[in-house]
This record gives sequence, C-alpha cells and structure tokens, in this order.
Amino acid sequence: MPLLTRFLPIAVILLLWEAVSRTGYVNPNVFPPVSEILLRWVQIFWDGRIYPPLWDTMWRALAGLTAAIAVGVPLGLLMGRVRAAEWFFEPLFSFGFPLPKIALIPLYVHWFGLFSLSKVMLIFTDCLFPIVLFTYHGARGLSSVYLWSAQSRGTGRVRMFWRVVLPLSLASIYDGVQVAVVVAVLVAVVTEMVSGGGGLGELMIRAYRFGDVRTAFAALLTVSLAGYILYKLAQWLRGRLLFWHVAEV
Amino acid sequence: MRIVPLLLLICAWQAAASFGVLPKTLLPSFFDVAAQLGAHVRSGEIFGHTAASFARAGAGCGIAVAAGVALGLIMARMRAVERAMEPILLMIYPVPKPAMIPLFMIWLGIGDFSKVAVIALACLLPVVVATFNGARSVDDMLIWSARARGTSEARLLWRVVLPSALPQIAAGVRTAIAIAIIVLVSSEFISAEKGLGYLIFSYGGVGADDAMLAIVIWLAALGYFLDRGYLAGLRRVMRWHAFAH
Repeated sequence: MPLLTRFLPIAVILLLWEAVSRTGYVNPNVFPPVSEILLRWVQIFWDGRIYPPLWDTMWRALAGLTAAIAVGVPLGLLMGRVRAAEWFFEPLFSFGFPLPKIALIPLYVHWFGLFSLSKVMLIFTDCLFPIVLFTYHGARGLSSVYLWSAQSRGTGRVRMFWRVVLPLSLASIYDGVQVAVVVAVLVAVVTEMVSGGGGLGELMIRAYRFGDVRTAFAALLTVSLAGYILYKLAQWLRGRLLFWHVAEV
Repeated sequence: MRIVPLLLLICAWQAAASFGVLPKTLLPSFFDVAAQLGAHVRSGEIFGHTAASFARAGAGCGIAVAAGVALGLIMARMRAVERAMEPILLMIYPVPKPAMIPLFMIWLGIGDFSKVAVIALACLLPVVVATFNGARSVDDMLIWSARARGTSEARLLWRVVLPSALPQIAAGVRTAIAIAIIVLVSSEFISAEKGLGYLIFSYGGVGADDAMLAIVIWLAALGYFLDRGYLAGLRRVMRWHAFAH
C-alpha cells in the first residue's frame, strides 16, 4: 500500500483539523470541520450552483489563453528568426515578464468595460509574456542543420516557417503554454475577485462577505482542481502531439 | 541599447497623444503621467504607500524564505520529513494562491496579517522546492569529507549543505520576489487603506488615469530595480561560487 502510506500525512492533518474544529474551542463558522467543507463541496456540485461560476472562470481563462497562443506563437517565432523583430520585441517582453500585469486591472476596466472583455484581455496580456518568450527561445535555438537541409532543397521562406521552424519550436512553445495555463486560471480568479462579474473569484468574495467559509473553501477547491486538470490536460496533449519530437526522446 | 525599443514605444505614445490621435479620455499622454509621478514624489505621498506595500511584501517574503529554506534543508537531509511534507506540498501546489485571499481575510481579518500570510504561503513553495533540489544535489564528496573530519550533522547542514545549495536557493528567492509583488497587488486591490495597490485602484476608480498610470509605472520600476539589485547583490555575495562566473 505505497499510495496509502504516501498520503498518510494528509489524512493525519485532515483528521487533526476535524478533531480540533469539533472540540468547540474554535468557532466552527470561522474554522469549520473538513467534513462540512467537503459536504458543501459535494452539495454545490449536486444542486448545480457551482457550474455557472465555474463555466465563467474557465471560458475566460481559455479564451485569454487561446488568444495569447494565437498572437504569441507567431510573434515569438518572428522574434526568433528575424533580427529586427528580435531587436524591438525581445527587450520589451523580457522587461515586462516579471512585472505585475494585474496592476493594469483598473486601466483595462476603463478600456474594455467591467464585464468579461476586460478580464479576457488581461488574461491574454498576462499569458502573452511566457508564450512569446518560450517560443522565441525555442525558435532562436534551432539547430542550423535542419534549416540548411530545408534550404538546400529550395524551401521558401513562408514554407520554412510553417514546416520547419514551427514544428521544431513546438517543444518550447509547449513549455510556455504549460506556464500560461496556470497564469490564465490565476488571473481569471483575481480579476473576478477585484471587479466581480460572476466566476469563482466573485463567488469566493461573496462568500467572504457573508462569512461563509464553507463555500469559500469549496470554491477554492474547485478552482484548484480545475486548474490542475487543465494543467494535466495540457501535459497529456503535449505527449500526444510531440511524440515524434527529437527533443522528447 | 536594450532600452531603445522601450524609449521608442514611449515616444510613439507621446506623439500619438500630442497629435491628437490618442484621445485623452482613452489614455493620458506620457508627459501627463510623468508629471503626476513627479508631483507624487515631490509631495512625498507616494513613499508612505510604498513603505506600506513593501513592508507587507517584505514580511511575507521574509517569512517564506526563512521557513522555506529551513524546511527544504531538513526535507533534503531527513527522509521521514520528506515523506511527510511531500504530499502536503503537492496538495498546496496547484492552488492559485491569490484565491486564498478571501479565506485568509476571514481567518486573519482584512488588515495586514491576512496579506502577509497569503504572500508568505505563495512565496513558500518556490523557496522550498529550490532549497530541496539544491540541498539534494550537493556533491557527496563534500559531505563525506566533512563527515570524515567529524563534523556534526547540524554543522554539516549549516557549513556544507546550505552554502552548496545557495545558488538554487537564490534562484528560488528571485521567483518568490516576483510572486510576492503579484500577490501583494492583488490583495491590496481587494482590501487596503494604504499601499500602492490601493492607490492604483482608488485612482482607477475615480478615472484619474494619469495618476493611476504614474503609480503603475512607479511600481513596475521598483519591481525592476529590486530584481536588478537582488541579482547584483547576489553576484557580490557569491563571488566565491562558480555560479557567479
């Protein structure tokens, strides 16, 4: 039973938690027993209350992510292969990557409104940085042998881009996407906490206002699980798509 | 030379505003924003907010570094601790940390405690993971030779394992600093009466875009110079290490 012993520490913590909050020394509304939190979690899935906010958060995260991939991958490839593009964009993206883009929420609300568009745009902005930078590093570090061999067969510039540079950069593009998936869910939740408009973030803030720890916790579990599943899905997809890739072996 | 594209972008921004291509209601001109930043610095108003923000981020990050390094080292040297902590860390890993802000506000109130706690939790993981990996990959030769001279386990940890793991710890701390600023701003957007996040949010709320952007730029510049300063300091401290070369 290696799996069982492996997760024994978690079981111990959960049992302790349950015991402590049942002793009556702590306020059960502030620190409810685990069993009640799990019960609430099941409940909100059972009565369907969780689906609309879950859907809101997920589609915003995925829309922003998709837009970031659509813009970021071509831009990153361009930066990797064209000197002028590299000269202009590389410093901007390297400089901007560690900065807190979340600080732009008020500006984006002003530009794109209070509703979904401003959230999707911020997710897009935040995801763009890892995708562009990883794609750029992938396209930049390609082995020249592949390029030469394609060139010697008379491959045109455009074809070279799609048939040689893009496939060979896929592994690092995927590393960028892996990072961006996590960022997308996180930014989605933060924008919803700050400017409302439905979603798991708003659900949690509302739960906080009503002192409803159980729902806040259940929503947190939901968003963590959703983010985790998305991350694993991206990983799985990577294995399916890149099985042929030289860097994978 | 790397700054030229940024300067070009700023020139384009100012030009677009000056020639009326970019309406002021959409984006204030760069000069307006710079003037606001100047006014805030001159009046000294910005420094109190900066201090409040950096005290929160610094406290959270500091706690995370102290606890994270200790935990990472112990995990790397003691199998039992590793076994106990690994599943717990794995469980915390996929949780988007800013999403814990509402819960911490219930537990610790809407003041500084909840913010510091969330920042500490968010910064903890990269530090623990980096320390653990660094301490695990310490050259066995170093450990054997120290042991052979009769070094005690505690001294070994402090004098051999910690210094050899330092480059990786340093990289983990760098990630933690970036995370701290992101979580800080998120938490100050949600609840604060002081701090740069609060300032950005309240200027944004009343449509004072020039002042808001001034604070955003101030925050970005601080974050940038903090990172640069950290790297420069690291290079000095670790001059003895291969990492620095």
